[in-house]
Amino acid sequence: MASTVIGANLTIEGEVIADEDVVVQGTIRGKLTAKDSVVVESGAVIEADVTGAAMSVAGQVTGNITSSDRVELQPGARVVGNVKASRITIADGAHFKGNVDMDV
Amino acid sequence: MANGATVIGRETRIRARVTGGQDFEIHGHLEGELTVGGEVNVGETATIAADVRGRRIVVRGAIKGDLSADEAIVLEEGARVVGDVRAPRVAIAQGALVRGYVETGNAGEAPRKAASTAARVLPTPIHRPAPAAAKPAPKAAAKAPAPPPPPSKPAAKGKPGARMSLAGGKAPPPVVPSLKKGTKAALTKKR
Repeated sequence: MASTVIGANLTIEGEVIADEDVVVQGTIRGKLTAKDSVVVESGAVIEADVTGAAMSVAGQVTGNITSSDRVELQPGARVVGNVKASRITIADGAHFKGNVDMDV
Repeated sequence: MANGATVIGRETRIRARVTGGQDFEIHGHLEGELTVGGEVNVGETATIAADVRGRRIVVRGAIKGDLSADEAIVLEEGARVVGDVRAPRVAIAQGALVRGYVETGNAGEAPRKAASTAARVLPTPIHRPAPAAAKPAPKAAAKAPAPPPPPSKPAAKGKPGARMSLAGGKAPPPVVPSLKKGTKAALTKKR
C-alpha cells in the first residue's frame, strides 16, 4: 500500500488525515491523524496531536500521542506531551516529558 | 537529505496551508493553500481545492483553484481545472478540461509566498541576480537545470529570450543573465 511522505522541507499548517502509513520528515503544525503507522523521522518537527496505530518517533513531537498499537521513541526523539498507548518503548537517548497512559 | 520530495498518498486528506519543500506529488485530497518551490505533480486521483504555486505544475487530477508557476504548467489528459492558469509556458493536452483564465508569459505573476527555501532553490526568472554577487550563485549554477525558461533542454548558454517564441501579445522581457566574462571558469574552478 502506498504511503504518504511529508518531505523534509515541507511545512503543513493544518490538519492531516490519512488512511494509510505516514512518514514525516518535515514540519506539521496542527493535527495528524493516521489510521496506520506513523513514522516521525529525525529532523521532523510535529507541533500537533498525533493519532495512529504503530508509531515510531525519532524527531520532535510537541503534542499528545495516541496510539492504538505501540509507540516507540527512538534515540534522538524529543517528545513533550502525553502518550496513550497499549505498548511503549522509550530508547536510551530519547527525551520525553509527559504522562504515559497504557490503560487503553 | 537534499531531496525533500513529498508524496501525498491516495487515502490522505489535508486541510492546511502547505509551504516550502521541493517536489510535491499528490494523489489524495488537499484543501487550503499549496506553495512549493519545486515541481508539483497532481495525480489522477488527486482533488485539490486550493491555489497552487510552484516552479512547475503537472496536472492529471482535479483542481479548484488558481495555478501559478514560475516555469510551466502542463495539463495532461484527465486534468480538470477550474481556476486561473498562469505560467510562462502552458501546455494543455487533449482531453484536459479547463475553465478559467489562462495566461502565458510572466506578466501578472503574483509574488510568491514560498518559504525561504524557495529562494534558495531558484531565483525567480525576472529578477535573476548577477551570479557573481549572490551567495546562491554556486548553488544556483549547480541546480542550473532550469535557467530562466525551458527546463527540459538545458542549453543554458544561448540567449534564453530568443527561445521563448510567444505568438503575439506581450513578450516577456528577455531574461539574459548578466554574466561577466570568465564567470563560468571561476565557478567551475571554485567547485
